[in-house]
Amino acid sequence: MKRSSPVAASLAVLGYLVMIVPILFVVATAFTEGETLRFPPEGLSLRWFDEATSYQPFTDALLSSLQLALLATVLALAVGIPATLAIMRGRLPGRSLVEGLFLSPLILPELVVGLALFQQLMLQLELDNFQALLIGHTALLLPYAVRVTGASLVLADPALEEAARGLGASPLRTFFTVTLPVLRPGIISAALLSFVTSFNNVPISLLLQSRDFRTLPVTMLDYVQQNYTPIIAAMSTLLLAATVVLAVVAERILGFARIFGGINR
Amino acid sequence: MTTAAEFVAVSRHFGDFTAVDSLDLAIREGALTTLLGPSGCGKTTSLRMLAGYIEPSAGKIMIGGKDHTDAPPEKRDLGMVFQSYALFPHMTVAGNVGFGLKLRKVPRAERARRVAEALELVGLGHLGDRRPKALSGGQQQRVALARAIAIRPRLLLLDEPLSNLDARLRVQMRGEIRRIQAETGLTVVLVTHDQEEALEMSDHMVVMNAGRVMQQGAPDELFPAPANRFVAEFLGYENFLTLPERGLVTVRPELLTVAPGDVGGGETAVSATVRSIAYRGVEVRVALDATTGAGGATTPLVASLRGDALTPEDRAALHPGGRVTVSARPDHLVSLAG
Ligand SMILES: Nc1ncnc2c1ncn2[C@@H]1O[C@H](COP(=O)(O)OP(=O)(O)O)[C@@H](O)[C@H]1O
Ligand SMILES: [Mg+2]
Repeated sequence: MKRSSPVAASLAVLGYLVMIVPILFVVATAFTEGETLRFPPEGLSLRWFDEATSYQPFTDALLSSLQLALLATVLALAVGIPATLAIMRGRLPGRSLVEGLFLSPLILPELVVGLALFQQLMLQLELDNFQALLIGHTALLLPYAVRVTGASLVLADPALEEAARGLGASPLRTFFTVTLPVLRPGIISAALLSFVTSFNNVPISLLLQSRDFRTLPVTMLDYVQQNYTPIIAAMSTLLLAATVVLAVVAERILGFARIFGGINR
Repeated sequence: MTTAAEFVAVSRHFGDFTAVDSLDLAIREGALTTLLGPSGCGKTTSLRMLAGYIEPSAGKIMIGGKDHTDAPPEKRDLGMVFQSYALFPHMTVAGNVGFGLKLRKVPRAERARRVAEALELVGLGHLGDRRPKALSGGQQQRVALARAIAIRPRLLLLDEPLSNLDARLRVQMRGEIRRIQAETGLTVVLVTHDQEEALEMSDHMVVMNAGRVMQQGAPDELFPAPANRFVAEFLGYENFLTLPERGLVTVRPELLTVAPGDVGGGETAVSATVRSIAYRGVEVRVALDATTGAGGATTPLVASLRGDALTPEDRAALHPGGRVTVSARPDHLVSLAG
């Protein structure tokens, strides 16, 4: 491995500091005994974690967010993986056009996407706000699903699928016994990325929310606009912990090289 | 002779480019046929059309006497070994070899027996539990071979199977593939650009150029009698000269005799000037400029002489600039079509 220059190393350290230090402040204030969100914390207690996990708007919203992120991820993969194969392995006539279509949510401002969906899905088609959110999030995640699985498909030897066909497997059988398993690390990383993206999304969720179905980030945003208590720090800390656990589990199962390399060799 | 498969006037175009041009070729049952030719002459395209991975633009692909032109690869029952081996990374070696048998719903016990048999045949009986990536390149290739053979295919197709191996292994695998072919009685089609490999391994060889068959036949028929200059050059002939009465002929370097002095004349003798000499142990290679035209035009020739048969007079004449007479027996000259 190449040695990095001292300048690059200092910049990297500075970057980490800029990212991590504010997070540490949030984590620290979550453990306060006092009533206000301030640093340094006054005393040490877990009371705000208690409050956070028993505050019903948060727990309801957490369940909604998990449900939405999970379903949107499954849908995005179910549409995105076949689309990727069709774009990259098939003989589609307008192939770059189709690819552009699937990647476009990546460059459109999410607020615009949200507003368009609000007008079309909820006002015109009168879908309920969960259905509209599911469609909106799926559209948001599709580019990630297509890009990440596509990146691992580029690395996969096309002869693998040909070999399976030659040995007697139908195209469908080949897809399930060879293509999917070979792309598994790419699919898992696409799923993780999609899940986190949906879970954290604010703009689309903000426009498509209702009183009955509201995601956690939107609920937390609403909350801090009204109140300024450590419950928000406690909730953030819990989310942070969950993310770290998820990352560690993924690393254990796959290894980062594979998550980002995205192919089964 | 039974025909296992046949190309009937098969062409393949890529845009304006013709990769395979009206190919007519019968693959003999139980024999090893090689498609030999320089890179880009259409060998892989032909093999992939036979396997069903590329559709012909025109013509028919017959397998076992039936038209398979429109059949997908999974309906052809052929065993293909890819240049990249294409082993499934998420399966063990035994899983790879048993893949085709599982699809054919061969019962578990028989499957295990046939997997073991196929691995035994390629000399890897002990490696069934490994993952492909834990094997060397040569071993991976044997697994690919076992996987293709395990389904008892109607034909075994090999695309440049030896080109990724190091030189020593390559020569060893030539014999291995012949042995496996003899033991199984399989019909084999092998693609190569190496004429030595084709000569050594084939029952029948097909020399291709620019999408067309230049010549075909058994190695021992084809090598002494190349039909045209392309085939002769590809098989390693170096001497080409136009004789007044016979037109373009070729002759192998070891069939030329070189005598001192400038006697000239005669149908099969020409005078020449020595350009350079290379001693290679027993062999002495002499590069010559033969005077072939009336106006003093010269043609380069190479003669391969036996060093221990040279007389002192011969040796005296063999120096750069020395005048000699080069001759060949008329029946050693091969007339070429052009
Ligand atoms: N998919 C393709 N698109 C365009 N040209 C191709 C394609 N496949 C092969 N060719 C061309 O056809 C010719 C024959 O290719 P190939 O059969 O692979 O040759 P060989 O195996 O004899 O080296 C080459 O000139 C190659 O560039
Ligand atoms: Mg080739």
